[in-house]
Amino acid sequence: MENLMAALKAQIVEQLNLQEVKPEDIGDDQPLFKDGLGLDSIDALEIIVLLQQQYGIKIANPEQGPEIFHSVRTIAAFITAHQNK
Amino acid sequence: MNIYIQGTGCVSAQETSKGGAFPEDILPWEGPRLKASEPDYKQWIDVKLIRRMSRVIKMGVAAAQLGLQEAGVQKPDAIITGTAYGCLDDTGVFLSKMINQQEEMLTPTAFIQSTHNTVAGQIALMLGCHGYNNTFVHKGFSFESALLDAVMILREGQSSTILAGAMDELTNHSFNILSRFDLYKKEPVTPDTLLNSHTHGTVAGEGATCFVLGTEKGANTKVKLAGVTTLYKPGGKAEISADIAAFLAAHQCSEEEVSLVITGRNGDASGDEWYEYVETQLLPGKPVACFKHLCGEYPTAAAFGMWMGAKIIAAQQAPAAALFKGHLPGEVRKILIYNHYKQTHHSLILLTAC
Repeated sequence: MENLMAALKAQIVEQLNLQEVKPEDIGDDQPLFKDGLGLDSIDALEIIVLLQQQYGIKIANPEQGPEIFHSVRTIAAFITAHQNK
Repeated sequence: MNIYIQGTGCVSAQETSKGGAFPEDILPWEGPRLKASEPDYKQWIDVKLIRRMSRVIKMGVAAAQLGLQEAGVQKPDAIITGTAYGCLDDTGVFLSKMINQQEEMLTPTAFIQSTHNTVAGQIALMLGCHGYNNTFVHKGFSFESALLDAVMILREGQSSTILAGAMDELTNHSFNILSRFDLYKKEPVTPDTLLNSHTHGTVAGEGATCFVLGTEKGANTKVKLAGVTTLYKPGGKAEISADIAAFLAAHQCSEEEVSLVITGRNGDASGDEWYEYVETQLLPGKPVACFKHLCGEYPTAAAFGMWMGAKIIAAQQAPAAALFKGHLPGEVRKILIYNHYKQTHHSLILLTAC
């Protein structure tokens, strides 16, 4: 889980071109959107593509989005749960 | 109705993005490609927005902000841009991903930012400007079309302040492709040798230039846009010469009244023949300034020429590196800018002091 979260942080920084943010600056439980890291809806689309490309995971139910994308930890948990299926 | 240039902003191969007068020191370059000297964009753009912007968007936004700052305008009534190449870099990213990923799982950012009207849209978003927003993609007439649209809207009274400008970027891909079209010099050239090289080809350039145009004269306004016109594929040099004479007459400007001619000489022997003809046959003895050895050749380079003309009138002096023939008169009242792009797209702009 720790390794996965570290990898996710690096991938998010690269994919979203977060020029002022280092992967280690992102907290495991830090909210990614709005007041947290400040990501927006376009970033959400980028992360959806990232999950498909890097982990082969599709989000079947869009209503789960806010819950899954809350933080790096929730994304990692979602990946772990779906890769084990 | 008078149309005033209330503010200008320019990002180019020279250090023009500092605002103010024309920079005294000309940045040297070698080889057939001039890259823009880019400012620190964080002074105008939030870092959260910068991360999605390609160079041409950042250059366009910076030029717009510089122009608005100089004009003291927070939000114009309309935003009109011209670009021939559009957002080339993001177009390349998007198309490359489309090929590499076999049209699957394409990310949205490059696509969103790849359209030609992205720059005008981004400026509007940042300013919260919900007024008229248009982008002209007319090859060598892109800038002039944006200018003509702005002039018509101002004359119709629909707006009183318009941000109009042009921007084009050069990427590694586009430079390689354009080089294959045999557009650029093969031999070494410098700013000092380009205009008198008398050989085939020129140097590539890029840049963004914006003007705040308005119907009211501001406290610091010194230049009027008296006229602009375009001429597509004129029949010959005698025809363009007659067209220029007619253009001047239509704007109540005699040939004697022209203080300075700015031409788009770019060192390409056949293209420069047009300028030489006009300089010697129609306007003999007039001082001539040039600008493409400072910004390079690109389809919207005339915007840099107009920016330079506005700066010369405002400061009543021209940078030594820009003067090609003669000496600047004591008072610079009227400047004629004659430019053509690849000998097909010819344009005329008349600036006057106010």
